[in-house]
Amino acid sequence: MKKVYCNVTKCLGCRSCEIACAVEHSKGKTLFTAISETPLPVHRRKVQAVEEIIISDACHHCEDAPCITACMSGSMFKAEDGSTQHNEDKCVGCWMCVMVCPFGAISRRKNLAIKCDLCKDRTEGPVCVVSCPTKSLTVK
Amino acid sequence: MEYVIVGSSAAGVSAVEAIRSVDKSGKITVISDENYSIYSRCVLSYYLAGMMTEEKLKYRGEDFFKKHNVDSIVGKKVEAVLPGKKIKLSDGKTLSFDKLLIATGSRSKMENIPGVEKDGVFGLRNINDARKIEERLGKTKTAVMLGGGLIGLRAAYALHKRGLKVIVVVKSKHILSQMLDEEGAGFIQRRIENKGIKVITGLSAKEITGDKEVSGIILENEEKIDCQIVVIGKGVQANIELVKDAGIKTEWGIIVNESLQTNVTDVFAAGDVAQTKDLVTGESTINALWPNAVIQGKIAGLNMAGKNIKYDGSLGMNSVEFFELPTISYGITKPKGEGYEILVKKNDAQEIYKKIVLKNNKIVGFVLVNDVDNAGVYGSLIRKKIDVSSIKEELLNNNFNFAKILPLVKKYKEEFAEKEYKELVM
Repeated sequence: MKKVYCNVTKCLGCRSCEIACAVEHSKGKTLFTAISETPLPVHRRKVQAVEEIIISDACHHCEDAPCITACMSGSMFKAEDGSTQHNEDKCVGCWMCVMVCPFGAISRRKNLAIKCDLCKDRTEGPVCVVSCPTKSLTVK
Repeated sequence: MEYVIVGSSAAGVSAVEAIRSVDKSGKITVISDENYSIYSRCVLSYYLAGMMTEEKLKYRGEDFFKKHNVDSIVGKKVEAVLPGKKIKLSDGKTLSFDKLLIATGSRSKMENIPGVEKDGVFGLRNINDARKIEERLGKTKTAVMLGGGLIGLRAAYALHKRGLKVIVVVKSKHILSQMLDEEGAGFIQRRIENKGIKVITGLSAKEITGDKEVSGIILENEEKIDCQIVVIGKGVQANIELVKDAGIKTEWGIIVNESLQTNVTDVFAAGDVAQTKDLVTGESTINALWPNAVIQGKIAGLNMAGKNIKYDGSLGMNSVEFFELPTISYGITKPKGEGYEILVKKNDAQEIYKKIVLKNNKIVGFVLVNDVDNAGVYGSLIRKKIDVSSIKEELLNNNFNFAKILPLVKKYKEEFAEKEYKELVM
Protein backbone atom coordinates (compact mmCIF):
# COMPACT_ATOMS: atom_id res chain seq x y z
CA MET A 1 0.00 0.00 0.00
CA LYS A 2 1.17 3.51 -0.78
CA LYS A 3 1.56 5.81 2.20
CA VAL A 4 2.95 9.26 2.88
CA TYR A 5 6.27 9.42 4.69
CA CYS A 6 7.90 12.45 6.26
CA ASN A 7 11.65 12.83 6.22
CA VAL A 8 12.23 14.79 9.43
CA THR A 9 15.69 15.88 8.31
CA LYS A 10 14.07 17.91 5.53
CA CYS A 11 10.87 19.19 7.17
CA LEU A 12 11.08 22.88 8.10
CA GLY A 13 7.66 23.03 9.71
CA CYS A 14 6.20 25.52 7.23
CA ARG A 15 2.73 23.97 7.50
CA SER A 16 2.08 24.16 3.76
CA CYS A 17 0.91 20.56 4.01
CA GLU A 18 -1.65 21.46 6.69
CA ILE A 19 -3.13 24.19 4.52
CA ALA A 20 -3.18 22.04 1.39
CA CYS A 21 -4.81 19.23 3.36
CA ALA A 22 -7.53 21.46 4.78
CA VAL A 23 -8.24 23.01 1.38
CA GLU A 24 -8.40 19.61 -0.32
CA HIS A 25 -10.94 18.50 2.27
CA SER A 26 -13.06 21.64 1.96
CA LYS A 27 -16.20 21.93 -0.10
CA GLY A 28 -14.89 24.54 -2.53
CA LYS A 29 -11.34 23.16 -2.72
CA THR A 30 -9.76 26.60 -2.95
CA LEU A 31 -8.08 28.48 -0.12
CA PHE A 32 -10.21 31.53 -0.81
CA THR A 33 -13.51 29.67 -0.34
CA ALA A 34 -12.23 27.28 2.32
CA ILE A 35 -11.57 29.99 4.89
CA SER A 36 -15.18 31.11 4.86
CA GLU A 37 -16.81 27.67 5.05
CA THR A 38 -18.85 26.49 8.01
CA PRO A 39 -17.74 24.28 9.52
CA LEU A 40 -14.17 25.16 8.72
CA PRO A 41 -12.34 22.37 6.93
CA VAL A 42 -9.98 20.41 9.17
CA HIS A 43 -6.45 19.45 8.23
CA ARG A 44 -5.61 15.83 8.90
CA ARG A 45 -1.87 16.31 8.78
CA LYS A 46 -0.22 17.99 11.76
CA VAL A 47 3.16 19.63 11.98
CA GLN A 48 4.70 18.82 15.34
CA ALA A 49 8.08 19.42 16.89
CA VAL A 50 10.34 18.23 19.65
CA GLU A 51 13.75 19.69 20.37
CA GLU A 52 15.33 20.05 16.91
CA ILE A 53 13.08 17.49 15.21
CA ILE A 54 10.10 18.69 13.16
CA ILE A 55 7.68 16.19 11.70
CA SER A 56 4.58 16.47 9.59
CA ASP A 57 2.52 13.55 10.81
CA ALA A 58 -0.86 12.02 10.03
CA CYS A 59 -2.58 8.66 10.11
CA HIS A 60 -0.03 5.90 9.54
CA HIS A 61 -2.67 3.54 8.13
CA CYS A 62 -1.40 0.93 10.60
CA GLU A 63 -1.30 -2.63 9.39
CA ASP A 64 -2.99 -3.78 12.59
CA ALA A 65 -5.04 -0.64 13.11
CA PRO A 66 -6.13 -0.01 16.72
CA CYS A 67 -8.77 2.50 15.59
CA ILE A 68 -10.57 -0.19 13.61
CA THR A 69 -10.48 -2.58 16.54
CA ALA A 70 -11.81 0.05 18.90
CA CYS A 71 -14.49 1.49 16.61
CA MET A 72 -17.83 0.42 18.01
CA SER A 73 -19.94 1.87 15.21
CA GLY A 74 -18.08 0.08 12.42
CA SER A 75 -17.12 3.35 10.76
CA MET A 76 -13.35 2.72 10.63
CA PHE A 77 -12.39 0.09 8.11
CA LYS A 78 -9.61 -1.27 5.94
CA ALA A 79 -10.09 -0.39 2.31
CA GLU A 80 -9.08 -2.85 -0.39
CA ASP A 81 -5.80 -1.02 -0.94
CA GLY A 82 -4.89 -1.56 2.72
CA SER A 83 -5.44 2.04 3.78
CA THR A 84 -7.49 2.77 6.89
CA GLN A 85 -10.59 4.67 5.84
CA HIS A 86 -13.45 6.23 7.73
CA ASN A 87 -17.11 6.09 6.84
CA GLU A 88 -18.12 9.43 8.37
CA ASP A 89 -21.75 8.58 7.84
CA LYS A 90 -21.59 5.88 10.53
CA CYS A 91 -19.46 7.75 13.07
CA VAL A 92 -21.17 8.66 16.36
CA GLY A 93 -18.30 10.57 17.95
CA CYS A 94 -17.56 8.16 20.79
CA TRP A 95 -13.80 8.85 20.52
CA MET A 96 -12.79 5.26 21.06
CA CYS A 97 -10.46 5.74 18.06
CA VAL A 98 -8.93 8.83 19.64
CA MET A 99 -8.42 6.81 22.82
CA VAL A 100 -6.33 4.18 21.06
CA CYS A 101 -4.53 5.95 18.19
CA PRO A 102 -0.84 5.77 19.17
CA PHE A 103 -0.01 8.72 16.90
CA GLY A 104 -2.73 11.07 18.10
CA ALA A 105 -3.64 11.31 14.43
CA ILE A 106 -7.42 11.51 14.76
CA SER A 107 -9.09 14.89 15.13
CA ARG A 108 -12.59 15.65 16.30
CA ARG A 109 -15.14 17.93 14.73
CA LYS A 110 -18.51 18.03 16.45
CA ASN A 111 -19.39 14.35 16.70
CA LEU A 112 -17.23 13.24 13.84
CA ALA A 113 -13.78 11.67 13.89
CA ILE A 114 -11.53 13.04 11.15
CA LYS A 115 -8.35 11.50 9.82
CA CYS A 116 -6.09 11.27 6.77
CA ASP A 117 -7.79 9.46 3.89
CA LEU A 118 -4.73 9.65 1.61
CA CYS A 119 -6.81 11.98 -0.60
CA LYS A 120 -8.62 8.93 -1.94
CA ASP A 121 -10.84 11.08 -4.15
CA ARG A 122 -7.92 12.94 -5.70
CA THR A 123 -6.68 11.06 -8.75
CA GLU A 124 -3.19 12.61 -8.54
CA GLY A 125 -2.68 11.23 -5.00
CA PRO A 126 -2.12 12.91 -1.62
CA VAL A 127 -2.08 16.69 -1.95
CA CYS A 128 0.31 17.19 0.98
CA VAL A 129 3.13 15.62 -1.01
CA VAL A 130 2.92 18.11 -3.87
CA SER A 131 2.41 21.00 -1.46
CA CYS A 132 5.69 20.37 0.37
CA PRO A 133 8.32 22.90 -0.75
CA THR A 134 11.24 20.93 0.72
CA LYS A 135 10.15 17.56 -0.66
CA SER A 136 10.17 16.09 2.82
CA LEU A 137 6.87 14.34 2.15
CA THR A 138 6.92 11.46 -0.26
CA VAL A 139 4.36 8.89 -1.25
CA LYS A 140 5.54 5.35 -1.83
CA MET B 1 -12.63 -28.67 11.78
CA GLU B 2 -15.90 -27.59 13.42
CA TYR B 3 -15.89 -24.29 15.21
CA VAL B 4 -18.79 -23.26 17.39
CA ILE B 5 -19.07 -19.68 18.62
CA VAL B 6 -21.63 -18.77 21.23
CA GLY B 7 -22.49 -15.10 20.96
CA SER B 8 -22.48 -12.79 17.96
CA SER B 9 -21.40 -9.46 19.34
CA ALA B 10 -17.93 -7.87 19.34
CA ALA B 11 -15.89 -10.93 20.35
CA GLY B 12 -17.87 -13.49 18.36
CA VAL B 13 -17.82 -11.47 15.14
CA SER B 14 -14.15 -10.70 15.50
CA ALA B 15 -13.42 -14.41 16.07
CA VAL B 16 -15.25 -15.32 12.85
CA GLU B 17 -13.10 -12.87 10.90
CA ALA B 18 -9.94 -14.20 12.56
CA ILE B 19 -10.77 -17.85 11.92
CA ARG B 20 -11.58 -17.16 8.29
CA SER B 21 -8.30 -15.31 7.83
CA VAL B 22 -6.56 -18.63 8.54
CA ASP B 23 -9.05 -21.40 7.80
CA LYS B 24 -11.19 -20.85 4.72
CA SER B 25 -13.02 -24.17 4.78
CA GLY B 26 -13.66 -25.21 8.41
CA LYS B 27 -17.30 -25.25 9.47
CA ILE B 28 -18.22 -22.29 11.66
CA THR B 29 -21.50 -22.12 13.56
CA VAL B 30 -22.46 -18.97 15.44
CA ILE B 31 -25.29 -19.12 17.94
CA SER B 32 -27.05 -16.08 19.32
CA ASP B 33 -29.98 -15.87 21.70
CA GLU B 34 -31.06 -12.65 20.06
CA ASN B 35 -33.18 -12.66 16.96
CA TYR B 36 -31.48 -9.86 15.11
CA SER B 37 -28.61 -9.14 12.74
CA ILE B 38 -25.18 -8.28 14.04
CA TYR B 39 -25.37 -4.91 15.73
CA SER B 40 -23.33 -2.79 18.09
CA ARG B 41 -24.86 -2.70 21.55
CA CYS B 42 -22.41 0.02 22.55
CA VAL B 43 -24.08 2.55 20.30
CA LEU B 44 -27.62 1.77 21.48
CA SER B 45 -27.74 4.95 23.53
CA TYR B 46 -26.98 7.00 20.41
CA TYR B 47 -29.86 5.23 18.72
CA LEU B 48 -32.09 5.89 21.70
CA ALA B 49 -31.05 9.54 21.60
CA GLY B 50 -32.33 9.70 18.03
CA MET B 51 -28.83 10.45 16.74
CA MET B 52 -28.77 7.43 14.42
CA THR B 53 -31.16 5.13 12.62
CA GLU B 54 -31.65 1.50 13.55
CA GLU B 55 -30.00 0.56 10.27
CA LYS B 56 -26.75 2.12 11.44
CA LEU B 57 -26.61 -0.08 14.52
CA LYS B 58 -25.48 -2.82 12.17
CA TYR B 59 -21.74 -2.46 12.21
CA ARG B 60 -21.16 -5.27 9.74
CA GLY B 61 -23.16 -5.87 6.58
CA GLU B 62 -26.30 -8.00 6.55
CA ASP B 63 -24.38 -10.53 4.47
CA PHE B 64 -21.65 -10.98 7.09
CA PHE B 65 -22.40 -14.61 7.90
CA LYS B 66 -22.94 -15.54 4.29
CA LYS B 67 -19.77 -13.79 3.23
CA HIS B 68 -17.79 -15.69 5.84
CA ASN B 69 -19.56 -18.98 5.16
CA VAL B 70 -21.02 -19.25 8.66
CA ASP B 71 -24.03 -21.24 9.81
CA SER B 72 -25.98 -18.82 11.94
CA ILE B 73 -28.44 -19.96 14.59
CA VAL B 74 -30.46 -17.10 16.03
CA GLY B 75 -33.01 -16.84 18.81
CA LYS B 76 -31.60 -19.82 20.71
CA LYS B 77 -29.73 -19.87 23.93
CA VAL B 78 -26.92 -22.25 24.69
CA GLU B 79 -27.85 -23.74 28.02
CA ALA B 80 -24.87 -25.91 28.80
CA VAL B 81 -21.47 -27.05 27.74
CA LEU B 82 -21.58 -30.84 27.97
CA PRO B 83 -18.81 -33.40 28.35
CA GLY B 84 -17.61 -34.97 25.10
CA LYS B 85 -17.29 -31.61 23.28
CA LYS B 86 -20.97 -30.89 22.94
CA ILE B 87 -23.27 -28.01 23.77
CA LYS B 88 -26.96 -28.09 24.56
CA LEU B 89 -29.34 -25.55 23.08
CA SER B 90 -32.55 -24.19 24.56
CA ASP B 91 -34.61 -26.27 22.11
CA GLY B 92 -33.05 -29.43 23.56
CA LYS B 93 -30.80 -30.12 20.58
CA THR B 94 -27.11 -30.74 21.00
CA LEU B 95 -24.26 -29.67 18.78
CA SER B 96 -20.70 -31.03 18.63
CA PHE B 97 -17.59 -28.96 18.27
CA ASP B 98 -13.87 -29.34 17.80
CA LYS B 99 -13.20 -25.83 19.08
CA LEU B 100 -15.65 -23.78 21.11
CA LEU B 101 -15.63 -20.06 21.78
CA ILE B 102 -17.79 -18.75 24.58
CA ALA B 103 -18.51 -15.10 23.81
CA THR B 104 -21.78 -14.79 25.68
CA GLY B 105 -20.98 -11.33 27.01
CA SER B 106 -22.65 -9.84 30.03
CA ARG B 107 -26.03 -8.56 31.07
CA SER B 108 -27.26 -5.62 33.11
CA LYS B 109 -27.10 -6.27 36.81
CA MET B 110 -30.71 -5.85 37.84
CA GLU B 111 -30.97 -4.65 41.38
CA ASN B 112 -32.74 -6.70 43.91
CA ILE B 113 -35.08 -3.96 45.03
CA PRO B 114 -38.84 -4.25 45.39
CA GLY B 115 -40.65 -3.30 42.20
CA VAL B 116 -37.83 -4.08 39.80
CA GLU B 117 -40.16 -6.39 37.83
CA LYS B 118 -42.63 -3.62 36.94
CA ASP B 119 -43.29 -2.49 33.40
CA GLY B 120 -41.10 0.47 32.64
CA VAL B 121 -37.98 -0.81 34.40
CA PHE B 122 -35.16 -1.49 31.96
CA GLY B 123 -31.50 -2.22 31.50
CA LEU B 124 -29.99 -0.78 28.34
CA ARG B 125 -28.16 -3.73 26.96
CA ASN B 126 -29.77 -4.96 23.81
CA ILE B 127 -31.90 -3.81 20.94
CA ASN B 128 -35.08 -4.95 22.65
CA ASP B 129 -34.37 -2.78 25.69
CA ALA B 130 -33.87 0.21 23.43
CA ARG B 131 -37.04 -0.48 21.48
CA LYS B 132 -39.13 -0.95 24.60
CA ILE B 133 -37.82 2.26 26.12
CA GLU B 134 -38.58 4.02 22.88
CA GLU B 135 -42.16 2.68 22.83
CA ARG B 136 -42.70 4.09 26.27
CA LEU B 137 -41.42 7.59 25.55
CA GLY B 138 -44.87 8.84 24.59
CA LYS B 139 -46.28 8.30 28.04
CA THR B 140 -43.17 9.37 29.93
CA LYS B 141 -42.41 12.75 31.44
CA THR B 142 -39.66 11.78 33.84
CA ALA B 143 -37.05 9.05 33.68
CA VAL B 144 -34.84 7.96 36.56
CA MET B 145 -31.47 6.29 36.10
CA LEU B 146 -30.34 4.14 38.95
CA GLY B 147 -26.56 4.18 38.78
CA GLY B 148 -24.11 6.79 37.58
CA GLY B 149 -21.93 4.53 35.48
CA LEU B 150 -21.43 4.74 31.78
CA ILE B 151 -24.59 2.87 30.81
CA GLY B 152 -26.76 4.89 33.17
CA LEU B 153 -25.32 8.20 32.05
CA ARG B 154 -25.45 7.39 28.37
CA ALA B 155 -29.10 6.43 28.80
CA ALA B 156 -29.71 9.62 30.78
CA TYR B 157 -28.11 11.69 28.06
CA ALA B 158 -30.15 9.96 25.38
CA LEU B 159 -33.47 10.45 27.17
CA HIS B 160 -32.63 14.06 27.92
CA LYS B 161 -32.07 14.55 24.18
CA ARG B 162 -35.53 13.07 23.62
CA GLY B 163 -37.00 15.78 25.79
CA LEU B 164 -37.62 13.93 29.04
CA LYS B 165 -36.89 15.21 32.49
CA VAL B 166 -34.03 13.03 33.69
CA ILE B 167 -32.81 12.28 37.19
CA VAL B 168 -29.70 10.23 37.91
CA VAL B 169 -29.51 8.53 41.31
CA VAL B 170 -26.00 7.50 42.33
CA LYS B 171 -25.01 5.69 45.50
CA SER B 172 -21.38 6.81 45.23
CA LYS B 173 -20.09 10.25 46.09
CA HIS B 174 -19.87 11.10 42.41
CA ILE B 175 -20.86 9.84 38.98
CA LEU B 176 -18.65 7.55 36.88
CA SER B 177 -16.88 6.36 40.01
CA GLN B 178 -15.45 3.31 38.25
CA MET B 179 -13.94 5.28 35.45
CA LEU B 180 -12.95 8.61 36.97
CA ASP B 181 -11.60 10.32 40.03
CA GLU B 182 -13.85 12.73 41.89
CA GLU B 183 -12.31 15.83 40.37
CA GLY B 184 -12.60 14.64 36.77
CA ALA B 185 -16.13 13.39 37.30
CA GLY B 186 -17.00 16.77 38.79
CA PHE B 187 -16.47 18.49 35.46
CA ILE B 188 -18.90 16.13 33.75
CA GLN B 189 -21.38 16.30 36.59
CA ARG B 190 -21.43 20.11 36.51
CA ARG B 191 -21.85 20.10 32.75
CA ILE B 192 -24.77 17.70 32.70
CA GLU B 193 -26.43 19.45 35.64
CA ASN B 194 -26.08 22.81 33.89
CA LYS B 195 -27.81 21.27 30.90
CA GLY B 196 -30.73 20.13 32.99
CA ILE B 197 -30.02 16.55 34.09
CA LYS B 198 -30.49 16.27 37.85
CA VAL B 199 -27.93 14.23 39.77
CA ILE B 200 -28.58 12.88 43.26
CA THR B 201 -25.47 11.41 44.90
CA GLY B 202 -24.93 9.33 48.02
CA LEU B 203 -28.34 7.69 47.87
CA SER B 204 -29.92 4.69 46.29
CA ALA B 205 -33.51 3.76 45.59
CA LYS B 206 -35.12 1.43 48.09
CA GLU B 207 -38.30 0.80 46.18
CA ILE B 208 -39.82 1.16 42.75
CA THR B 209 -43.50 2.04 43.13
CA GLY B 210 -46.55 1.57 40.95
CA ASP B 211 -49.12 -1.12 40.22
CA LYS B 212 -48.20 -3.03 37.13
CA GLU B 213 -46.36 -0.07 35.70
CA VAL B 214 -43.73 2.14 37.26
CA SER B 215 -45.07 5.32 38.82
CA GLY B 216 -42.07 6.39 40.84
CA ILE B 217 -39.23 5.51 43.16
CA ILE B 218 -38.61 5.93 46.85
CA LEU B 219 -35.10 6.85 47.92
CA GLU B 220 -33.36 5.65 51.09
CA ASN B 221 -34.18 8.98 52.74
CA GLU B 222 -37.90 8.39 51.99
CA GLU B 223 -37.94 11.05 49.29
CA LYS B 224 -40.38 10.13 46.52
CA ILE B 225 -39.80 10.83 42.85
CA ASP B 226 -42.54 10.39 40.24
CA CYS B 227 -41.29 8.77 37.07
CA GLN B 228 -42.55 6.56 34.26
CA ILE B 229 -39.25 4.97 33.22
CA VAL B 230 -36.49 3.54 35.41
CA VAL B 231 -33.23 2.51 33.75
CA ILE B 232 -30.91 0.42 35.83
CA GLY B 233 -27.25 1.01 35.17
CA LYS B 234 -25.60 -0.76 38.05
CA GLY B 235 -22.92 -2.42 35.99
CA VAL B 236 -22.94 -5.75 34.25
CA GLN B 237 -22.48 -9.38 35.15
CA ALA B 238 -20.94 -12.03 32.95
CA ASN B 239 -23.16 -14.66 31.34
CA ILE B 240 -21.35 -17.70 32.70
CA GLU B 241 -24.28 -19.95 33.59
CA LEU B 242 -23.76 -22.24 30.60
CA VAL B 243 -20.45 -23.54 31.95
CA LYS B 244 -21.45 -24.09 35.54
CA ASP B 245 -21.44 -27.90 35.36
CA ALA B 246 -18.74 -28.19 32.73
CA GLY B 247 -15.69 -28.14 34.98
CA ILE B 248 -14.68 -24.77 33.54
CA LYS B 249 -13.11 -22.42 36.06
CA THR B 250 -15.00 -19.22 36.76
CA GLU B 251 -14.83 -16.34 39.17
CA TRP B 252 -16.55 -13.14 38.01
CA GLY B 253 -16.18 -14.45 34.50
CA ILE B 254 -14.71 -17.46 32.75
CA ILE B 255 -11.03 -17.63 33.59
CA VAL B 256 -8.79 -17.87 30.55
CA ASN B 257 -5.03 -18.14 30.05
CA GLU B 258 -2.76 -16.12 27.75
CA SER B 259 -4.09 -18.02 24.76
CA LEU B 260 -7.64 -17.16 25.86
CA GLN B 261 -8.28 -20.83 26.45
CA THR B 262 -10.17 -22.00 29.52
CA ASN B 263 -8.88 -24.79 31.76
CA VAL B 264 -10.73 -27.19 29.44
CA THR B 265 -8.81 -27.88 26.23
CA ASP B 266 -10.37 -26.50 23.05
CA VAL B 267 -12.83 -24.32 24.95
CA PHE B 268 -12.01 -20.62 24.64
CA ALA B 269 -13.67 -17.51 26.01
CA ALA B 270 -13.47 -13.87 24.88
CA GLY B 271 -15.19 -10.55 25.47
CA ASP B 272 -17.20 -9.44 28.48
CA VAL B 273 -17.56 -13.03 29.70
CA ALA B 274 -13.80 -13.66 29.85
CA GLN B 275 -11.72 -12.92 32.91
CA THR B 276 -8.19 -12.00 31.87
CA LYS B 277 -5.14 -10.25 33.20
CA ASP B 278 -5.30 -6.48 33.40
CA LEU B 279 -2.33 -5.13 31.48
CA VAL B 280 -1.69 -2.30 33.94
CA THR B 281 -2.48 -3.78 37.35
CA GLY B 282 -1.61 -7.37 36.52
CA GLU B 283 -4.74 -8.47 38.35
CA SER B 284 -7.19 -11.02 37.02
CA THR B 285 -10.32 -9.09 36.10
CA ILE B 286 -12.91 -8.30 33.44
CA ASN B 287 -12.56 -5.05 31.56
CA ALA B 288 -15.90 -5.28 29.80
CA LEU B 289 -15.25 -3.00 26.90
CA TRP B 290 -15.68 -3.10 23.14
CA PRO B 291 -12.00 -2.79 22.07
CA ASN B 292 -10.93 -5.48 24.55
CA ALA B 293 -13.66 -7.80 23.29
CA VAL B 294 -12.66 -7.32 19.66
CA ILE B 295 -8.98 -8.03 20.33
CA GLN B 296 -9.79 -11.04 22.49
CA GLY B 297 -12.15 -12.43 19.86
CA LYS B 298 -9.47 -12.03 17.26
CA ILE B 299 -6.75 -13.76 19.28
CA ALA B 300 -9.06 -16.54 20.44
CA GLY B 301 -10.17 -17.09 16.85
CA LEU B 302 -6.61 -17.26 15.55
CA ASN B 303 -5.64 -19.71 18.31
CA MET B 304 -8.70 -21.85 17.62
CA ALA B 305 -7.58 -22.01 14.01
CA GLY B 306 -4.18 -23.30 15.02
CA LYS B 307 -2.09 -20.19 15.60
CA ASN B 308 -0.29 -19.57 18.83
CA ILE B 309 -0.82 -15.93 19.69
CA LYS B 310 -0.44 -14.61 23.21
CA TYR B 311 -2.80 -12.02 24.66
CA ASP B 312 -0.96 -9.40 26.69
CA GLY B 313 -3.93 -8.36 28.79
CA SER B 314 -6.97 -6.14 28.81
CA LEU B 315 -7.14 -2.47 29.60
CA GLY B 316 -9.53 -0.53 31.73
CA MET B 317 -10.24 2.50 29.59
CA ASN B 318 -13.18 4.49 28.42
CA SER B 319 -14.31 7.42 26.40
CA VAL B 320 -17.48 9.47 26.75
CA GLU B 321 -18.82 12.74 25.57
CA PHE B 322 -21.78 14.49 27.08
CA PHE B 323 -22.92 17.91 25.86
CA GLU B 324 -19.71 18.51 23.88
CA LEU B 325 -17.46 17.68 26.83
CA PRO B 326 -15.24 14.76 25.82
CA THR B 327 -13.56 12.68 28.51
CA ILE B 328 -11.18 9.75 28.25
CA SER B 329 -9.82 7.67 31.11
CA TYR B 330 -7.26 4.90 30.91
CA GLY B 331 -5.62 2.54 33.37
CA ILE B 332 -5.31 3.51 37.03
CA THR B 333 -7.08 6.81 37.66
CA LYS B 334 -7.48 6.59 41.43
CA PRO B 335 -4.26 5.07 42.74
CA LYS B 336 -4.36 3.42 46.12
CA GLY B 337 -1.19 2.62 48.02
CA GLU B 338 2.39 3.82 47.87
CA GLY B 339 4.74 4.83 45.12
CA TYR B 340 2.47 6.76 42.79
CA GLU B 341 3.27 10.17 41.37
CA ILE B 342 0.41 12.31 40.14
CA LEU B 343 0.62 15.15 37.65
CA VAL B 344 -2.40 17.41 37.36
CA LYS B 345 -3.35 20.35 35.21
CA LYS B 346 -6.66 22.04 35.64
CA ASN B 347 -8.42 25.02 34.15
CA ASP B 348 -11.88 25.55 35.57
CA ALA B 349 -12.81 28.33 33.16
CA GLN B 350 -12.00 26.24 30.12
CA GLU B 351 -13.29 23.08 31.82
CA ILE B 352 -10.01 21.32 31.15
CA TYR B 353 -8.67 18.69 33.51
CA LYS B 354 -5.72 16.44 32.87
CA LYS B 355 -4.29 14.00 35.33
CA ILE B 356 -1.50 11.53 34.74
CA VAL B 357 -0.66 8.79 37.22
CA LEU B 358 2.90 7.47 37.20
CA LYS B 359 4.66 4.69 39.03
CA ASN B 360 8.44 4.27 38.82
CA ASN B 361 8.46 6.94 36.11
CA LYS B 362 6.08 4.96 33.93
CA ILE B 363 2.56 6.14 33.13
CA VAL B 364 -0.02 3.76 34.59
CA GLY B 365 -3.15 5.80 34.04
CA PHE B 366 -4.68 9.11 33.04
CA VAL B 367 -7.83 11.20 32.95
CA LEU B 368 -8.37 13.77 30.21
CA VAL B 369 -11.36 16.09 30.26
CA ASN B 370 -11.98 18.40 27.30
CA ASP B 371 -8.47 17.94 25.88
CA VAL B 372 -8.41 14.35 24.73
CA ASP B 373 -6.78 14.39 21.32
CA ASN B 374 -3.52 12.79 22.41
CA ALA B 375 -5.06 10.12 24.64
CA GLY B 376 -3.75 7.33 22.44
CA VAL B 377 -0.19 8.67 22.62
CA TYR B 378 -0.25 8.43 26.42
CA GLY B 379 -1.97 5.08 26.02
CA SER B 380 0.88 3.71 23.92
CA LEU B 381 3.34 4.71 26.67
CA ILE B 382 1.21 2.79 29.19
CA ARG B 383 0.94 -0.31 27.02
CA LYS B 384 4.64 -0.36 26.29
CA LYS B 385 5.59 0.49 29.88
CA ILE B 386 8.03 3.22 28.80
CA ASP B 387 10.13 5.21 31.29
CA VAL B 388 8.99 8.77 30.66
CA SER B 389 11.29 10.60 33.10
CA SER B 390 12.98 12.46 30.23
CA ILE B 391 9.69 13.98 29.01
CA LYS B 392 7.81 14.27 32.28
CA GLU B 393 7.71 18.08 32.08
CA GLU B 394 6.18 17.91 28.62
CA LEU B 395 3.38 15.47 29.43
CA LEU B 396 0.79 18.01 30.51
CA ASN B 397 1.86 20.85 28.22
CA ASN B 398 -0.82 22.15 25.90
CA ASN B 399 1.31 21.30 22.89
CA PHE B 400 2.01 17.71 23.91
CA ASN B 401 1.74 15.48 20.86
CA PHE B 402 3.23 12.44 19.20
CA ALA B 403 6.44 14.26 18.26
CA LYS B 404 7.28 14.67 21.96
CA ILE B 405 7.76 10.95 22.32
CA LEU B 406 10.03 10.59 19.25
CA PRO B 407 13.20 10.60 21.41
CA LEU B 408 11.69 7.69 23.34
CA VAL B 409 10.76 5.87 20.13
CA LYS B 410 14.42 6.19 19.11
CA LYS B 411 15.69 5.05 22.48
CA TYR B 412 13.37 2.10 23.10
CA LYS B 413 13.45 0.42 19.72
CA GLU B 414 12.45 -2.98 21.06
CA GLU B 415 9.32 -1.66 22.71
CA PHE B 416 8.30 0.40 19.69
CA ALA B 417 8.49 -2.66 17.48
CA GLU B 418 5.50 -2.06 15.22
CA LYS B 419 6.17 -1.51 11.55
CA GLU B 420 4.73 1.98 11.71
CA TYR B 421 7.43 3.16 14.14
CA LYS B 422 10.18 1.52 12.09
CA GLU B 423 8.96 3.45 9.05
CA LEU B 424 9.62 6.81 10.67
CA VAL B 425 12.42 8.60 8.84
CA MET B 426 14.47 10.14 11.65
